[in-house]
Amino acid sequence: MARTLAMFTDTSLCIGCRACQVACKEWNELPSEQPEWTGSYQNHSTFTDKTYRLVRFIEKPQANGELSWLLMSDVCKHCAQAGCLEACPTGAIHRTEYGTVNINQDVCNGCRYCVSSCPFGVVSFNHDTGRANKCTFCNDRIHNGLGPACAKTCPTESIQFGFRDELVTKADKRLATLKGMGYTDAQLYGADSNGPLGGLNAFFLLLDKPATYALPEKPARPQRNVIVDSLLSVGSALLVGVGALLAFRQRGGPDGRDEKRDGDTKDGGHA
Amino acid sequence: MLKSPDWHLLIVWYFFLGGIAGGAYFTAAIADNFGSPKDKSVFRVGYVLALLLVSVCGILLILDLGTPSRFLNMLMNFKFWDPMSIGAWMLGLFGAFAFASSVLSFVAGPGMAGLRRRLSLIGTIAGFFIAAYTGVLLSATALPFWREARLMGALFLASGASTGMAAIALLLYLFGESTGEGYKKVKRADRYAIMFEIVLLAAFLALLGGAALPIVSGHLAPLFWGGLVVVGLLIPLVLEVSGLSLPGVVPAALVLVGGFILRYVIVMANA
Repeated sequence: MARTLAMFTDTSLCIGCRACQVACKEWNELPSEQPEWTGSYQNHSTFTDKTYRLVRFIEKPQANGELSWLLMSDVCKHCAQAGCLEACPTGAIHRTEYGTVNINQDVCNGCRYCVSSCPFGVVSFNHDTGRANKCTFCNDRIHNGLGPACAKTCPTESIQFGFRDELVTKADKRLATLKGMGYTDAQLYGADSNGPLGGLNAFFLLLDKPATYALPEKPARPQRNVIVDSLLSVGSALLVGVGALLAFRQRGGPDGRDEKRDGDTKDGGHA
Repeated sequence: MLKSPDWHLLIVWYFFLGGIAGGAYFTAAIADNFGSPKDKSVFRVGYVLALLLVSVCGILLILDLGTPSRFLNMLMNFKFWDPMSIGAWMLGLFGAFAFASSVLSFVAGPGMAGLRRRLSLIGTIAGFFIAAYTGVLLSATALPFWREARLMGALFLASGASTGMAAIALLLYLFGESTGEGYKKVKRADRYAIMFEIVLLAAFLALLGGAALPIVSGHLAPLFWGGLVVVGLLIPLVLEVSGLSLPGVVPAALVLVGGFILRYVIVMANA
């Protein structure tokens, strides 16, 4: 595997221009959608099968009673332990040699299990093609030496593209700077490869708690439940089996058993 | 922020009928292996019912994909830890068992009965799997309520067993076999299964606590409490135990209604 590539989105630099959102649509030839009134400048309210980059506008009350914006250009996290990838029964969702997570459109069969298995609500079902869609990390561009369209376009370098280890070092420095400037709530989200989901290959610098950005504090692999729940099901099977045995058992012990075997022979003869 | 897979009635029907198929096969196998020769009608009905329903199940799943031929993509891959992948394979395997058992329950010949019995014990594992894995599949997602439900697979299995027994009882009644001993045994087995399911449902809700809110309160609550708990579980149990002079088929029909409602409220809670 080649060195892992990543995107680092520094939300402290985001000015909410949505150039990333537009560049993503342009490059990936994603059609426009009917805008929705969300009560803020944000459009749309969530990722869709036609919106892979989404600038979030979060209104945060200040001490003086006024509102301020937290801006965040959100995207598929390309998790190191990806729930969608593990859920995919066809193998359409795969990890590329760069560590990103992609959906092979020709293989996806539209079962939608990945949609419910993404801890971030990223993967979306495309009703036109009957297949699941999400950010491709501009797979075609990175294979040709170009960065993802969103990172290339970002005028403030809020979105940076590069090797993961180098970006994490950069992010750590930036965080220290911001802390020094008095942004005490600033924190990295998904940078730690020993953290939840083995780290995110699209990670973030946030200016507030993840919950403020509607991000899960500790995202977890959905598949962590499979073993325990299966064992509990086996227990249930055993108890159900005992009940049915009690109802059907032959009364009269071994004699009854013999009677049954005789009966079977007779049955065979008649049928 | 999290996304629903938009599974609707096709999937509800699949979960419901898959449960009956698994439960009916298991009941037939118990009657076949541990019952008396008089229980022949029970296992014949059980095996054939399982075969018919598992075929319907396959069709439902294929229809849900939108483009039917894409179900083949599911068979190009096997992930033993992924409920959806292993479920697709096991559905085929269970279908093969149900087919073999159905054929063997009508074919006479030396050793046929013995072969059928041994086969059915292995097939029961596949049947139990089909009844339970759909619950584990839901609990291995990122969606609230589903992901907290540790006993979902166990509960689906108990419900599958109970509805499978109820379906056999209903068919025996319709075929005019309701005076036989097999019919009585199936009813008795279903009584135990209903009791077990009630206990399991109580534990399911207790473990979920507040996470169960989407089904115990809100728009699904009347269906859950009225349709499942009262009509689908408590009334059939009271009718069975009290020995009222109602036709024995009434509790069986109510159990089936309850089994459908269980799958409906749980799937629709995240629709």
